[in-house]
Amino acid sequence: MIKLIVFLPLLAALVAGLGNRMIGNVVAKAITTGALLTSCALSWPIFLAFVAGNASPSVTPLFTWMQSGGLDIAWSLRVDTLTAVMLVVVTSVSSLVHIYSWGYMDEDPDQPRFFAYLSLFTFAMLMLVTANNLVQMFFGWEGVGLASYLLIGFWFKKPSANAAAIKAFVVNRVGDLGFMLGIFGTFLVFGTVSIPDILAAAPGMAGSAITFLGMRLDTMTILTLLLFVGAMGKSAQLGLHTWLPDAMEGPTPVSALIHAATMVTAGVFMVCRLSPMFEAAPVAQGFVIFIGAATCLFAATVATTQTDIKRVIAYSTCSQLGYMFFAAGVGAYGAAMFHLFTHAFFKALLFLGAGSVIHAMHHEQDMRYYGALRKRIPLTFWAMVAGTLAITGVGIPGLAVGFAGFWSKDAILESAWAAGSLGVEGGHLAFLVGAFAALLTSFYSWRLIFLTFFGKARWTQSEHIAHALHDAHGDHHADSDHDNPPSQEDAGHEPAQHGPAAAGLSDGTGGYHPHESPWSMLVPLIVLSIGAVAAGQVFHHVFVDPEGGLAFWNGSIAFDAHLAHASHEVPTWVMFTPFVVMLTGLWIAYNNYIRDPGAPARFTAMFGPLYTFLLNKWYFDELYNVIFVRPAFWFGRLFWQRGDVGIIDRFGPDGAARAVQGGSVLTGRLQSGFLYTYALVMLLGLAGLATWAMVRF
Amino acid sequence: MNHDMSASLLLVAPELTLTLAGLALLIWAAFFGDRHATGISIAAVAALVGAGALTSLAPAAGGNAFDGLARVDAFSTFAHVLIYFAAAVAIIIAPRFFRAHTPGGHGLMRAEYPILIVFAAVGMGMMVSATDLMTLYVGLEMNSLAAYVLASFIRTDTRSAEAGLKYFVLGALASGILLYGMSLLYGFSGTTNFAGIAAAMGADFSGGLVFGLVFVLAGLAFKISAVPFHMWTPDVYEGAPTPVTAFFASAPKVAAMALTVRVCIEAFGPTTLDWQQIIIFLALASTILGAVGAIGQRNIKRLLAYSSINNVGFALIGLAAGSEAGVAATMSYMAVYVVMTLGSFLCILQLRDAGGAYVEDIARMAGLGKARPWLVGAIALFMFSLAGIPPLFGFWPKFLVFDAAVRAGLLPLAIIGALSSVISAFYYLKVIKTMAFDEAPADAPQWTAEGNAVETGLIGFTATAISPLGYLAIAPLAYLSGNAALALFR
Amino acid sequence: MTDLSQYLPILIFLGIAVGLSALFVFLPMGVSRLTGTHNPDAAKLSEYECGFPAFEDSRSQFDVRFYLVAILFIIFDLEAAFLFPWAVSLQDIGWAGWTTMMVFLAELALGLVYAWKKGALDWE
Repeated sequence: MIKLIVFLPLLAALVAGLGNRMIGNVVAKAITTGALLTSCALSWPIFLAFVAGNASPSVTPLFTWMQSGGLDIAWSLRVDTLTAVMLVVVTSVSSLVHIYSWGYMDEDPDQPRFFAYLSLFTFAMLMLVTANNLVQMFFGWEGVGLASYLLIGFWFKKPSANAAAIKAFVVNRVGDLGFMLGIFGTFLVFGTVSIPDILAAAPGMAGSAITFLGMRLDTMTILTLLLFVGAMGKSAQLGLHTWLPDAMEGPTPVSALIHAATMVTAGVFMVCRLSPMFEAAPVAQGFVIFIGAATCLFAATVATTQTDIKRVIAYSTCSQLGYMFFAAGVGAYGAAMFHLFTHAFFKALLFLGAGSVIHAMHHEQDMRYYGALRKRIPLTFWAMVAGTLAITGVGIPGLAVGFAGFWSKDAILESAWAAGSLGVEGGHLAFLVGAFAALLTSFYSWRLIFLTFFGKARWTQSEHIAHALHDAHGDHHADSDHDNPPSQEDAGHEPAQHGPAAAGLSDGTGGYHPHESPWSMLVPLIVLSIGAVAAGQVFHHVFVDPEGGLAFWNGSIAFDAHLAHASHEVPTWVMFTPFVVMLTGLWIAYNNYIRDPGAPARFTAMFGPLYTFLLNKWYFDELYNVIFVRPAFWFGRLFWQRGDVGIIDRFGPDGAARAVQGGSVLTGRLQSGFLYTYALVMLLGLAGLATWAMVRF
Repeated sequence: MNHDMSASLLLVAPELTLTLAGLALLIWAAFFGDRHATGISIAAVAALVGAGALTSLAPAAGGNAFDGLARVDAFSTFAHVLIYFAAAVAIIIAPRFFRAHTPGGHGLMRAEYPILIVFAAVGMGMMVSATDLMTLYVGLEMNSLAAYVLASFIRTDTRSAEAGLKYFVLGALASGILLYGMSLLYGFSGTTNFAGIAAAMGADFSGGLVFGLVFVLAGLAFKISAVPFHMWTPDVYEGAPTPVTAFFASAPKVAAMALTVRVCIEAFGPTTLDWQQIIIFLALASTILGAVGAIGQRNIKRLLAYSSINNVGFALIGLAAGSEAGVAATMSYMAVYVVMTLGSFLCILQLRDAGGAYVEDIARMAGLGKARPWLVGAIALFMFSLAGIPPLFGFWPKFLVFDAAVRAGLLPLAIIGALSSVISAFYYLKVIKTMAFDEAPADAPQWTAEGNAVETGLIGFTATAISPLGYLAIAPLAYLSGNAALALFR
Repeated sequence: MTDLSQYLPILIFLGIAVGLSALFVFLPMGVSRLTGTHNPDAAKLSEYECGFPAFEDSRSQFDVRFYLVAILFIIFDLEAAFLFPWAVSLQDIGWAGWTTMMVFLAELALGLVYAWKKGALDWE
């Protein structure tokens, strides 16, 4: 069964990818979507069996991959609680995104390719989560990286998409290098890459040290830090986060699937999977807390200033991943996985909702040109509200009623405080940072809702809308859209044109009429809304409760029942803090964008430098440009022109080619066609051989 | 006639058959002329097939004929079969070519062509079983004389005449060198017998013997066209009629290579370290020059001439190892080489324009891929195989000779050989590129698709043999070549 | 080194041959000088070789039939050269030797038949 779950998407990807135009759009879409739905349908029973507590971990061997000395790597599919959680997350979101893409990508000329990539991604992600050894995990890890690269650059005729794809790939390579070194080091220390073996041996390794370059270093700290660098790259943590916002160049369903719900959480998954190793390395755990909390705060601050709807959600993702990491850092792996689980639903929901908005607004992504969309696209509005309620963690602490984010985020914050009280360094600090970030989360999330759906329509200023209106007037909409691949995304909407265009000018709509998205897009929104509303309520007892969690996780992560218990005993003010900051954020957003729309401008005027700093994302890109990119280019040019062209090519390939060519010319000249030359060469050769033989003799 | 005589005659039954057949066909040709060329060709092929069948009479343990003048063993049998096969193919592919070269394009082939091939085959048969300098020389000259005539077989074509003359003059020079070396060997050892020479060399390796060895090897190197005794090859290959070129590139190469191997192992055995140096030099020079020289060539036959020089170098690498495995590798190499080369020439013989004229200029073959895709596919197979690119079978013998060289401690030789095979891949690929990918020039020939069932069948057969299917033949080939090598090291 | 003394008869033979051939050249010249009238002119004093002027461009054309005849002559000349040693050693080599030479002669005869049939011997 697990084989079917994992390999159906691969099969579908191959059929759709290789068949491509031969089998046609509908067939390719049907095959990939069908495969994913089947996988999803097969995954849920596995997960529910684990929830019910009547399933046990299993490993399905496939075949040997490589065997060399002590290195023994086999392809096998591991299914335990952790995998089961990831299985449902990946297959559910992926199948919903497949369905959603039917509507969203409807007019794209390259649909089979798109669906093949999506399925390929799903396969790689499933390989990652079912890996029983680090190398297979790395295979999946690279597979999702590849699929991500392909999908970000899906509109390959758009230079910015290509640049974003390359950036994602390169930044991820930095992380992957760390991951690789971590794998090598693990093999060096443990003599195996099998995850169960490593985890069994890890506690015994705590405190051991290795000598490297004359320094005594703590073995587990080094290994886990290296592995964590990999996780940072894939999960876009502070320092290696720069690719994620740019990745929004990809089609929106891709953002929802890869850059919100699944791939970016691979880092969290890896840390949880290897949690016994991290438990043996307190220093590394501290680092994880620090990075997680810092990312959480950083991304939240940046999100407050962004105007691109997808970028806001992208930074929000970054921030939420920070939550997960510091939860893992303080040892609350259950809470981290719980947040991963709920986040997958509400973040995919937000992205798909944003996609629906973008679709309705003729591919305008700037929120400044939105407004007053509540009545125009009501279903999308309600779905987005559900997602926002979930992400901001709306719920009533005392009554144990709330949306998904309420359960998972509060669990994280309470675990952080409890861990701090139990003596984990940075736990209290992480709580405070997390709480402040929760305020910001609430603010930017409601800001998004208010800017998009409330207030007055500000559509006329949008070039996209103007374009749509112009095309509708000019009546050659089809030509311009289809001949221009970079605007493939523009092709989604046919503006309705009722009555004279001038009629709507005064109300800011410009006469443009947004339409609700087709049902293929709305159904996934509805399904995800249900998840965003109920996932926390239904599953919290198995994920984070002390007793339920211990039984549920069943050793697949280092679940700390003591910590989980302590997190329920935190002071009341700690329990209520998230609730309060959530309301505060909501109020600020309401005040600034509904009650007093002039407030943001006044605020930015007052704190100009801060605003600019945040707007430019803390100048990370510029900093990297100066520190890494330019020197790298300089070195690259140096090695290329001096080293490669000047030395290697000159004396290597080019030199050899010249020598061969010269030899050829020489031979040709020797082959004069005259008998006496030939006889002379023969005699010279004979004389030479005879002389040589005599000398040797 | 005593018993020895009849036993000896039985041992050389294949040569005897061919001789008698050749004489009979000669008289046939004399009385009935070119009108009977087809019949004579068929008879000649039949004689070659018969001679090939008679090689199976050779005793497994080998046997000496005519008081040690010749020896029939697994080694000679292996070479015999290859030679007769190549000779038969050379006869089969000829009629269509020569017909095109008679006025009007529908004349007859001259009846002497198959007869000359048969006589050449007799000479080559003697060469590979020679264990005496006398037999060696007579066999070699017998082959050479027939070859000189064959090279200038189209008398009206100046290129052909020039090829024959050059071949003859340089061949005479080489024969002189060879004879001089033989006289030195005889003078300093007192015998013309290989075993006797070996004994003399083992006892007292004097300077005279060294010179004799060098001169004899130089004379033989001319026949296998190893650098620096290769100078005749490109001119003769280009000028000679294409079927004759195909013949030169296959059968005499095998014979001369086998002869060289036998002389080195049986006559010069005790001085392996000395002749090894010479063979290494010949091998290196041949592989490198064969690879480098071919690059500038525009004529496909000339290119294949360099290719043959290159390949001979690789075969010599096996011999340079001086080991049993090395000899086996060399013989395997020659076997596969013969198939690849004959296949290539068979393909070239299909390249005719609308007027029936043969196209040899590589540049004019641009765009052939569109007109004759199957043919270009076959050519691509042969070229890739000649370049030694796996999974084609041409890779396997290259691997064998390199393996033998490395095992014999000649790592640098193997490395340089491998590098030169990289260089040689360039021109093989260039041919494919020109044919398959280049745009046809404005004056491109109108290719005729006029086929010939026999030739097409032969192309199919050789292409199959060098395709990955050829790997099925590894086991028998290894068995036969191993036996052949064992016969020399007995 | 090999004992060269056994080559002595050859040396003696060489000496006698050189002496005799010199005799054949110079004896007629001397005799004619002594007996005949000595009346030289340009044509008489010029070298005489096979009907061709000796000092001329060597690329002059001549009838290929000369060449054919010469080659046939050489072949049968060599045949005779083989026959001499065969004849003196026939006692020792016996029937095998006799048969071999007969085969050789037969082969040459067949060659002659071919050449004849092909018209190599017809002058016109």
